[in-house]
Amino acid sequence: MTPPTVATASPTIAHGPATLVVTRKHRPVAEFLSTYVFSKDHKVIGLQFLFSTLLWFLVGGLLALAVRWQVAWPWSDVPVVGKLFAQEGGQMSPEFYTMLFTMHASVMIFLVIIPILAGAFGNFLIPLMIGADDMAFPTLNMLSYWFMWPAFIAFTASFFVEGGAASGGWTSYPPLSTNPASSPASGMGQTLWLLGLTLVGVSSMLGSVNYMTTIILMRAPGMTMFRLPMTIWAMFITAILQAFALPVLTAAGFMQLTDRLLGTGFFSPEGSMVNNAISGAGGGQPLLWQHLFWFYSHPAVYIMILPAMGMVSDILTVFARKPLFGYRPMVYSIAGIAGLGFIVWGHHMFMSGMNPALGITFMVSTMMIALPSAVKTFNWLGTLWGGKIQFTTSMLFALSFVSMFIIGGLSGIFMAATPVDIFIHDTYFIVAHFHYVLFAGTAMGVWAAIYFWFPKMFGRTMNEFWGKVHFFLTFIFLNGTFFTMHILGAVGFPRRLADAYHYETFHHLQPLNAFMTYCAMGMVATQVIFAANFIYSMFWGPIAGRNPWNANTLEWTAPSPPGHGNFDYQPVVYRGPYEYSVPGVEKDHLMQTDPPNAAAAAAAAAAH
Amino acid sequence: MGKRLAAMFWALLFLAVPVLGVATFAIAPAYDHWLPKDVSEHGQSIDSLFYFILALTGVVFVVTEVLLFWFMWKYDASRRTEGATYLQGSHTLEVVWTIIPAATLLFLAIYQMNAWADVKMRRPAMSPTVEVVARQFEWRLRYPGRDGTLGTADDLFLVNDLHLPIDEDVLVQLKSMDVLHSFFLPNVRIKQDAVPGMKIPVWFKAREAGEFDIVCAELCGWGHYKMKGRVTFETRAEFDAWLERKYAEQQAVQPQIEVARAD
Amino acid sequence: MINTPSFVHRSCYKALALAAVVGAATGCGKTQPASFRLNMVQATKTSAPEADLERPWEQWSQDRQSQVATILLAMFGTPDEPLALAESGLDEAKLRLAAGPVRSDIVGRKNGLYREHCVHCHGISGDGMGPTAAFLNPYPRDYRPGKFKFKSTWRDAKPTNADLVRVLHEGIAGTSMPSFALLPPTQVDALAEYVRYLSVRGETELALFTYAEQELGGDEQLPTTREFLVDEILTPIVGKWAAAEESQIPIAAVPAGVHFGLAASDFANRESVARGRALFLGDGGCVKCHGVTALGDGQANDYDDWNKTIVEVSKEVAGGLDASRQAATGEMSPEKLAEYRARAEWLHAFVEVLEGDALRPRTIPPRNLRQGVYRGGRRPLDLYRRLYTGINGAPMPGVGPSGPGGKGSVADAEIWHIVNYIRSLPYEFDGELGADRPMIAKDRF
Repeated sequence: MTPPTVATASPTIAHGPATLVVTRKHRPVAEFLSTYVFSKDHKVIGLQFLFSTLLWFLVGGLLALAVRWQVAWPWSDVPVVGKLFAQEGGQMSPEFYTMLFTMHASVMIFLVIIPILAGAFGNFLIPLMIGADDMAFPTLNMLSYWFMWPAFIAFTASFFVEGGAASGGWTSYPPLSTNPASSPASGMGQTLWLLGLTLVGVSSMLGSVNYMTTIILMRAPGMTMFRLPMTIWAMFITAILQAFALPVLTAAGFMQLTDRLLGTGFFSPEGSMVNNAISGAGGGQPLLWQHLFWFYSHPAVYIMILPAMGMVSDILTVFARKPLFGYRPMVYSIAGIAGLGFIVWGHHMFMSGMNPALGITFMVSTMMIALPSAVKTFNWLGTLWGGKIQFTTSMLFALSFVSMFIIGGLSGIFMAATPVDIFIHDTYFIVAHFHYVLFAGTAMGVWAAIYFWFPKMFGRTMNEFWGKVHFFLTFIFLNGTFFTMHILGAVGFPRRLADAYHYETFHHLQPLNAFMTYCAMGMVATQVIFAANFIYSMFWGPIAGRNPWNANTLEWTAPSPPGHGNFDYQPVVYRGPYEYSVPGVEKDHLMQTDPPNAAAAAAAAAAH
Repeated sequence: MGKRLAAMFWALLFLAVPVLGVATFAIAPAYDHWLPKDVSEHGQSIDSLFYFILALTGVVFVVTEVLLFWFMWKYDASRRTEGATYLQGSHTLEVVWTIIPAATLLFLAIYQMNAWADVKMRRPAMSPTVEVVARQFEWRLRYPGRDGTLGTADDLFLVNDLHLPIDEDVLVQLKSMDVLHSFFLPNVRIKQDAVPGMKIPVWFKAREAGEFDIVCAELCGWGHYKMKGRVTFETRAEFDAWLERKYAEQQAVQPQIEVARAD
Repeated sequence: MINTPSFVHRSCYKALALAAVVGAATGCGKTQPASFRLNMVQATKTSAPEADLERPWEQWSQDRQSQVATILLAMFGTPDEPLALAESGLDEAKLRLAAGPVRSDIVGRKNGLYREHCVHCHGISGDGMGPTAAFLNPYPRDYRPGKFKFKSTWRDAKPTNADLVRVLHEGIAGTSMPSFALLPPTQVDALAEYVRYLSVRGETELALFTYAEQELGGDEQLPTTREFLVDEILTPIVGKWAAAEESQIPIAAVPAGVHFGLAASDFANRESVARGRALFLGDGGCVKCHGVTALGDGQANDYDDWNKTIVEVSKEVAGGLDASRQAATGEMSPEKLAEYRARAEWLHAFVEVLEGDALRPRTIPPRNLRQGVYRGGRRPLDLYRRLYTGINGAPMPGVGPSGPGGKGSVADAEIWHIVNYIRSLPYEFDGELGADRPMIAKDRF
C-alpha cells in the first residue's frame, strides 16, 4: 500500500488558501489581522481562547483570594484593594464581599472553565485529532471567539457601574437578582451579568454546532466513531449537551431580564415587598428560575468536566504506554453521564421548597449518575495497572486528576443523600465538593493538557523541572485549601457569609479558615511559576519535533506547530488511538496512521 | 537511579492523599471541628447516615487511592525492564465494577428514603406552633397566642428570639417577606428555604433544652451574614410562662412593665 | 491601644503574604487609619463668602474646616481612639469597646463593635452614609443632628438610654434596622454609648460651624479655650442628654372602655374604637396624611428633617447660582466682580458637596397603618407615645402637648382611644398552612 502523500490535494480543503495568499501579499495589515486576530484557523482561535481564558483565570483567582481574605479575617484591613474602602478604615463592605464571590464563580465558570475546555482545547484538538484540515464552519468558529469579547467587556464593565457587579451569587436566584431594591448590585451590574451570560451562551452554541458537525462529517478516511480518541468523544458529547441545555438558560436569562427591565413577573410572587418597594407584577414563582437555571447548569457541570476526563484518558495512556482500559465502557459512561445529566438538576433544590416527593426522584437519579463516574475511575486505574509509567509533568497532573476526582466524586454522594443534604446543603461541604471537581479535577486536567499539547501548539516543550515544581506546589496547596473545607462543612459552616464567627456554632473555625487562606495565597503565588514557564517556553523552550511523547493520535503526525490546513498529507487511519506496547511490534506505539504491515510502516516513516 | 527516586517521591506524594485525608477526618472531631451537637429526635438518623456514607466512601477512597499509589510505585518505567502489558480491558471486570457500585448506590438510595420522609414528608397533624417570617435581615416571629390560631388579635410578635418547647412536635410555618432565605438550625439538623409567596411547613422535636443558633443558609443580600437568630428550647411549662411574659410585655400600657432586655 | 491583637489582627504578615502573591509593592499594604469625615453640608452651608474676606474663598473655607476638625480631634479623638472629656458625660471604657477595627483583645473581649455591626449603614462618622446606605429605604439615621425618632421623651428632648437600647434590641420593623437582641447586654450598652458619642460629637460640630458663621467675621479664628469649647459649646449639648431621663412624657391611665387584653374588634371595645375613629378623623388630624382608610394615602410629599435640610439647601444653591449668573452678565466694578466670583465658587463647591456627601433626598410617605407593622413598636404604650409626641424629625406631629404643662389637640387619656382604633384596623394575613396539603398525614407514606 502506498503512503497517502498525494492526498494533500484532497477536496476536503474547501476554503481555497490560494486566493487568500494573493490578496495578502498586497495588504500586510489585513494579512496580520486575518492571520492572528480575525483568523478563521481553528488553531489560532483555540490559542486565542486559551490566552483569554488564562488571563481571566488570573482575575478569578485574585477574586478568590479577596474572598478568602474576608472569610479568614473578616472586617480587617484589606491589603491592596483596601484603599478602595479607605473611608471605612480599609475594611471590606459586606456587599463588596457578596460581589466578590459572585464574580469569582461567574468568571471561573463562564469565562474560564467552559471556554478553556470547549473553546481552547476543543478548537485546537478536534480537527487535528480527527484528521481534518479545519472546522466545518470556520467563520462561525471565529464568531464563537469574538462573541466572548462583548461578554468580557460586559463582565469587566459591571465592576465599574453604580452598585458594582452582580452580587446575587453565580446562580442569581430571584427575587434577589430581579428586584433592584433588594441589593445594591441588582441594578446595572446584574443586567450586565445577564448580558454577558447570554453572549457566552451564543459563543458556546456556535462552538457546539461546529464541533458536532465537524466530528460527524470531517473525520479522516478510516476514522470510525470507535477509533476516535476519548478527548474527541468527550468533546462531541459535551457539544451535544451544550446544544440541548443552553437554550433553556438563554430563555431563562431573557425572562429574568424582562422581569428586571420590563416589569414582567415570571419569578416574583404576588405581594412581596423588598426594602419597602413592591416587587414586580406578581404572579410568578422564584422556584421556576431555579428549575430553568439548573436544567442548564447541571449539564453544564458535565460540560465542565467531561472534556477534561477525555483529555486525561488520552494522556494517561500515552504515559502508561498502555491501551485505554475499557475503551467502549468509557465511551458509554460518558454518554451515560450526559444522558443522566439531564434528569438530576433537582438535586440542587432539595431544600428549596420543591415538593419533597420530587426530591426522592432526583435523589435516585443522582445516586445513579455516580455510577458512570465510578466506572470511569476504575478504568483509569485499570489503564495504569501493568503499565510502564513515565512521570512527566503532564502525567503527574493527569494522575492527580484521577486522585482528586475520586475525592470530588465521593463527596458528591453525601449531598445526593437527601437527609444528609439537609445538614450540609449550602455549607462548605458543597464548596469543597465542587472545588475538588472543578479545580482539583478540571483545572488539573487542563494543566495536564497544556503541558501535553504545548509542543503541538508552539513547537517547543515546556520546562519539565519547573513544571514539576509547579505541580508539586499546586497539589499541596490545593489540598490544603480545599480538603479542609470538608471539615468546615461537617460543622455546618455556611457558604457566602461575610462573617460567620459571631455564631457560637462557628466561632472556633477561624484558625482553620486562616490556614486555608494561607494555602490559597500559596496556590495563586505558585501560578507565577507556571506563567513564567509558559511564556519562556513559548519562545525559548527546546524544539519539540512532531511527536515528542511518542503518542498515537493524528495530531502528532502533523508538524509542530501545524501550518494552515494542518497536515502535510491526508492522514488515513488504520486503527484505534491506543495501540501502545502491542506485542510483536518493535516500537512501543503504533500510530493511528501507521500502515498495518511493517514494510509499509518503514516507507511511511521515510516519507515523513 | 535518580529517575527511580523521583518516581518513588511522586508515588509517595499520592500516598499522602489517603493518609492525610483519613487523618484529617480522624483528628477533626478531637478539636471539635465536627458535627455540632444534635438535640433533635430525627437528627440521629441523619447523622448515622452521614457516618455510614463516610465509612462507605472512606473505604472506596482509601482502596482506590492506595491502588493508584501502588500502580505508580510498581509500574514505574524506570524500574520496569519489560514492556507494558497490552490489555484492552476486561469484560468481567467491567461488569463487576458496574454491578457492585450500582447495587450499593441503589441500596443507599432506598435506605435513606425513610429518614427523608420523616423530616420533610410526614408532617404532624397540628396547627403551627409559630410562624417564622424571614426578611432582609432578620427572623420575624409570630406566635398564635392563647387561641392557638395565627392571624388573630392575640398574636405575639417577636424578632430573632425563637423559643420552643422540648419533647413535643413543633410545627413552624415558614414564610419570606422579600427574597429567598433558608431557615437553618445546625443543632436540630433542619434546613429549609423560605420562599416568598409560599408557606412551607417545617417540623421537628427537640430532645434537650438549651440555646442554639438560627443561621440563614441561602444568600439573601448584602447582610446575609448578619441574619442571626437564636432558638431556645425549654420545657413546656417554661415555654408557656415565657409566652405569657412576652405577651404581657407586648400589651404594656405603662413604662413600669417595660423590660429592656429579655435576659 | 488597649487591645493586644489576638486572632484577628496580624495585618502586617498577612499583607506581606498577599502583597507577595499579587506582586504589588504596596509596602505593608496598611491603609490609612480611619478618620471622621467632616459634616460637609454644614461646613459649606455656614461658609458663605463674606465681604471683608482677604484671602481667596477656598483657602478661607478650608482653613475654617481644618480649625473645626482640629478642635473635634482634640475633643473627641478618632474612630480608632475615641476620647471622652469628663464634661461630656460619656464613658470612655464603653466607647473603646465599640470603637476601632474589629478585633478581640487578649482576654477575648470583642472590640470594634460599631465597625462590625453598624458602620456599613451608619458610616464611620455616624452620618448615615455608610457604603450600603444609599440603597436602603428608608435611609439609615444620621446621628449628627442628635435627633431620634422612637423615644419616650418629649418631642425635642433626647432619648433615654433605655430608648436607644430598646431600638437596638428590637430593631425597627419595616426598615433595614435589624434587631441586636442576641448581643450580650454589655455590647448593646457600649453601642448605645457610642451612638451617643457620635451624636454629641456631631452636634458639637454643627454648633462650631454655626458659631463661626454667626459670631466670627472675616478671618477670625475659632477660639480654642476650654471655657469656650466646654462651657459654651459642649455643656448645653451634654445638658440635654443628661436631662433625658427627666423628660419622659407622662402616660395617662387607660380609661374605662379600653380593653387591650381583648381584640380591638371585640364588642367591649366598640365605643372606645368609635371614639378613637372620631378623633382620628377629627381633632387628632391623623386623616390629613394617613387618609380616611389609614392606608397612608393622604398628603405624601413631605420630607423628614434630614432630607429636608438637603432639599432646602439644594433649592437655595440652585437659586443662588441663577442669581449670580444673572448678576455676572451685567457691568460690574472689580470689587463687585471679585465678590461674585467668590460667591459662585462657594455655590459650585456646594453643588459638589451635595452630589458627593449627601444622599439623594427621598420623601417620607405617611405610614400605611394597615400592614400590622409599627416601626416604633407595637405595644399600646409605643403607639401612645408616637401619638403623644409625634415623631421627632419626621412630619408626624403629636396630638399631645408639646412640652410639660402644655395642652395638646387631644386630651391625654383620649389618646388611648386612638391607639385602640389603630389596633382595630384590619390588615391582610394570608393564613395558616392548609391542612389539605397532600403530604400531611403521618400514615400517608
